[in-house]
Amino acid sequence: MNGVSRPTLALGISAVVLSLVTLLGLPTPLQAVAAAVILVLLPGHALARFTQVSDVALRALLVLALGLAVLTAVSMAMFYLAVWSWQACVITMGVITVLACLARARQEATT
Amino acid sequence: MTDTLVASSRTVGRWKARDVWCAVAGIVSLALTVGAASTVSVPVNSDLGLVAVLPYPFWVGVLILNVAFVVALRGDAAGPARRPVMIWLIAVLVLMLFGTAAFATDIPRGEIAFRHIGIADALSRTHGIDPSIDGYFNWPGFFALLATVLQATGLDPVSLALWAPVFNMGLWLIALAVVTGYLTRDPRRRWLALWLFCLGNWQDQDYLSPQAFGFFLHLVVIALLLGPLAARAPQFRGFRPADLAAWWRGRSPAEPRPGYRVGALVIALLLIVVISASHQLTPFMLLIAITALTLSGRVWPNRLPLITIVVLTVWLAYPASAYLSGHPPLADAGLEAATAANVLERVRGADGHVLVVQVRAILTLVLWGLAAAGAVRDWRRGRLDIRVVLLAVTPLLLFPAQVYGGEMLIRVSLFALPFIALQAGSILLPADGSKPALDGSKRRSYHAADGSKRRPYLAAGGLALACTLLAVMTVTGRFGNARYDVFTDDEMAAVTAAQRLAPTGSALISAAHPTPWRSQGYLEHRYRTMDDLCRSDLSTAKCGPVVYEYARHSPGGAVVLFTRSSEASLVLQGFTSEAGFAELEKWLSTHIGVELVYSNADARAYRVTP
Repeated sequence: MNGVSRPTLALGISAVVLSLVTLLGLPTPLQAVAAAVILVLLPGHALARFTQVSDVALRALLVLALGLAVLTAVSMAMFYLAVWSWQACVITMGVITVLACLARARQEATT
Repeated sequence: MTDTLVASSRTVGRWKARDVWCAVAGIVSLALTVGAASTVSVPVNSDLGLVAVLPYPFWVGVLILNVAFVVALRGDAAGPARRPVMIWLIAVLVLMLFGTAAFATDIPRGEIAFRHIGIADALSRTHGIDPSIDGYFNWPGFFALLATVLQATGLDPVSLALWAPVFNMGLWLIALAVVTGYLTRDPRRRWLALWLFCLGNWQDQDYLSPQAFGFFLHLVVIALLLGPLAARAPQFRGFRPADLAAWWRGRSPAEPRPGYRVGALVIALLLIVVISASHQLTPFMLLIAITALTLSGRVWPNRLPLITIVVLTVWLAYPASAYLSGHPPLADAGLEAATAANVLERVRGADGHVLVVQVRAILTLVLWGLAAAGAVRDWRRGRLDIRVVLLAVTPLLLFPAQVYGGEMLIRVSLFALPFIALQAGSILLPADGSKPALDGSKRRSYHAADGSKRRPYLAAGGLALACTLLAVMTVTGRFGNARYDVFTDDEMAAVTAAQRLAPTGSALISAAHPTPWRSQGYLEHRYRTMDDLCRSDLSTAKCGPVVYEYARHSPGGAVVLFTRSSEASLVLQGFTSEAGFAELEKWLSTHIGVELVYSNADARAYRVTP
């Protein structure tokens, strides 16, 4: 993992941990926070990092928009395929985040 | 023009006394408005809505906040107040204008948010999408998202709906802040555009809805088009085909990094797909905006309109085909039909209701007038940005295309509002305040060029007064239907009882649409309203037999609901009178097979056996 930045590592580990924690369940306010982070913020952040966006405001906007858009696409696809469950959505969003981090890590390792 | 705003010097350095006072004024105004709004008792018994029952401290809070904002905006020679202060004041304004009802009641306003919760609930129960159910299941994107979020977070759907307007306004403002950053370098104009966007937002489309979600994504796509996907238009040489072709191909990307441009393009395509899957109208608004910007030569991917048309057509032809086969999209097109449905049919009913509708129209016209004056002023100074004009005007193209349930003009005004607000800022901001930022040089004093302080103070006072008046008009327009779209606990209890008492497969009939139903058991009953069944002729002689026969012939019978809010809606909009409503209920209640099964102060439910 030489050359892989700490933010990428932290993002990937957070995705795994928060997916598990959300699936296991937490008290209501914590569950809401954990679910919002793993479903929207982490995937949005992991994907927005690919865009080379340097403007902080646009980056923040893309994190939200990408997170919500990808979650919408994933949820909708699962409904059309009749395989939807919120747990499956959490796992899928966690996997998307981890894959994005792995791809980013490869980028970082080669540069 | 397409570069992002360089961080203001305001972001560093010490806090000034004025900044602290403005922040404190925000706290005071928030305390006043929240305290005042929480004293409002439900139901709201005024034809004018909330504006007539909000106590005076609320309006004092509105005044203080607008004065504080203008003082903060005015700032000093270095620019407006510090960014956290400006953000704080806007946050207070959002809570004040869009959270007012939530401070007065725990029940979300309007019927439709309940319906949307019910659709998400139905999806999560069936685990699949059946497009034959109704139109919502042909554009299920937002509801799929909502179902996942509600199940995964464990949030109370009603609480989420209650605070959705504040949350959605927050999302819109974040997107709009980025959009305005690409359209002007003047921080004062940007802050004022955000403020005016809030003050002009009477359209009430920010509830828990696919259009609110779609509008957010729409703004994000616009931000991408104005930012990383922007182009430098080549010089226009004429209308000869060769010149036009050279002009079309001659655009060069404003963003030098190809990877960044491609990444932004991929995100834009993803958002276009999600918008197309989530809402009927928004993709058309987006297509118009993309096409207008592309035709102006200011967007780098010049085939983006074509790609959007393909995505939209594919969605309409396949996932949404079940709905479109029975609802041709251009069936009721035409300027005359659109004018009748969007304007003429809305200006009727009780005097108070008509006044509210007029206030909404005046507020919209005032902002459009200010924007037009701002555009003329910018044009005369040679700094009119054609992109702002295009984004403000092009939503109007959709007005005659569809009646859209009489709501097209509301939607058009919402999609135009961000750019109307930005353009209106040109005339509302004193000239000296905007000069420095436009030429990119260091910031100058906000004072008049002749050194006199009288004129800027007058201008600032005028701006504060104008903003306060706009706030009063927005509260009037936005909460003008509070008599019938703010529900009581008794009405909620009656709806719960009616849904419990109605057997699965039976019909639930309410007098009119503002009924807080369908949040559960969306697929278990057929939901009808009397004004739909009777085609708005609610006279007892005509409507009574129609409703009775429908209820008697429904498999499993029906439960007929009469609520205070549905009565208020029909009376206020001039469809019936209180006496006529009571006569209809009495007529129904005395027929064979009709039995009163639930009653409280605000509602009655009758079971009709088949």
